[in-house]
Amino acid sequence: MEPSELERFEAVVLPHLSAAYGLARHLTRDDADAEDVVQESLLRAMKYFGGFRGTGATEGRAWVLAIVRNMSHTWRSRHGSKRTTTIQFDETVHSEAAGGEHPGAMLEREATRTALEQAIDALSPDLREVIVLREVEGLSYKEIGDVVGVPVGTVMSRLSRARGRLQRALTEADQGRRQ
Amino acid sequence: MSHPHVEMQIDLSLDGELAEDETALLEAHLAECAACRRFREARLALRSAIVTAMPRLEVPDRLRARVRADLRTSGRRMPVWRQAALAATLVLVASASALGGWRVGTAHMASTVLADEVLASHVRSLMPGHLSDVTSTDQHTVKPWFDGRLDFSPPVTDFSGRGYPLLGGRLDYVGGRPVAALVYGRRKHVINVFVWPAEKAKSLSAPTTRQGYRVLHWQTPEYSYWVASDLGLSELTDFVRLLQLGDSAAAAPNP
Repeated sequence: MEPSELERFEAVVLPHLSAAYGLARHLTRDDADAEDVVQESLLRAMKYFGGFRGTGATEGRAWVLAIVRNMSHTWRSRHGSKRTTTIQFDETVHSEAAGGEHPGAMLEREATRTALEQAIDALSPDLREVIVLREVEGLSYKEIGDVVGVPVGTVMSRLSRARGRLQRALTEADQGRRQ
Repeated sequence: MSHPHVEMQIDLSLDGELAEDETALLEAHLAECAACRRFREARLALRSAIVTAMPRLEVPDRLRARVRADLRTSGRRMPVWRQAALAATLVLVASASALGGWRVGTAHMASTVLADEVLASHVRSLMPGHLSDVTSTDQHTVKPWFDGRLDFSPPVTDFSGRGYPLLGGRLDYVGGRPVAALVYGRRKHVINVFVWPAEKAKSLSAPTTRQGYRVLHWQTPEYSYWVASDLGLSELTDFVRLLQLGDSAAAAPNP
């Protein structure tokens, strides 16, 4: 890349490295896979950056996330899902939750969290990706449509289906505890 | 009772995707409807639960470092075709007089940069859909096509009879100016001829033959010519002679 292109790349694409990693992590469900996917995606992004005319960081987000998204799906189909356990113990989140909270409340939150994690894991990739892009990365419907390559109407209906399933899982977990 | 349409609107509103007037209508409905209010509460609880279950991840430092390293390499690394071109052990620098003789000389920087650009354009033109803007073997179709697209009218001659058929032409951008690119074929090979008005300032003299691709350059009083192809040198020289003859034939009526 020419120096001016390198500069544009740094301004337009690099700010979204965490978003790229987050998406890859949630789609591959494996730390090491996610890192490889992101590195491959970014190499691809460098290669095709000349064809992308955007100059703003906002435009760059959907562009690079689309590459990461496609690479994640390619990766999954090529390598299969290696992971068998659910989400690993996350020290920061767990220690935060422990901060002076009533042990009962903590357990309850943990139970809800686990139930929801399982429900998210159980979502098909189609549904999981829209949830990640909307709820975690905060993309607009239009941006999600650009990343996934579907019309906004499809984004809305997928979000609605995904939320319906997660909502049911959450409700069931709450009811289970009350019994 | 539940209101599926309103539930969709509640999602839109929480996502910040509902228009202002519709939001007002939604609020009015929520004030009246306990079921929809409960739905919204449940959605708010779901949202916060999702964010807890899927915290926003930060990119690990080692991954950031890996990407940075790739980026540095890409800043240094030239495209593959340029590596190939520069890896050439044989860099034949020749210059053709208007009479078609070849002279070996030394390259100087400005024309090396131009040769790079010509080579880049040639390689780019070989990608699907990039070869020609006007596809015609008829010089009387190709030549007028450039009218109004360029501030000069390039000489266009078809050499089908000599085994170098004209395939078409396109606008290209070389050396900081729009130029005419004429596309010729020779069996499966493509020859790109870049033509623009001769610069008076200096007479370029650094055509290069590079591994894989050959880039040849000469200048007539009127035009600057660059030719790029993977064709063998003897055939390309042959072709260049035809072009030079064509050019002088075209120039002949104007003394």
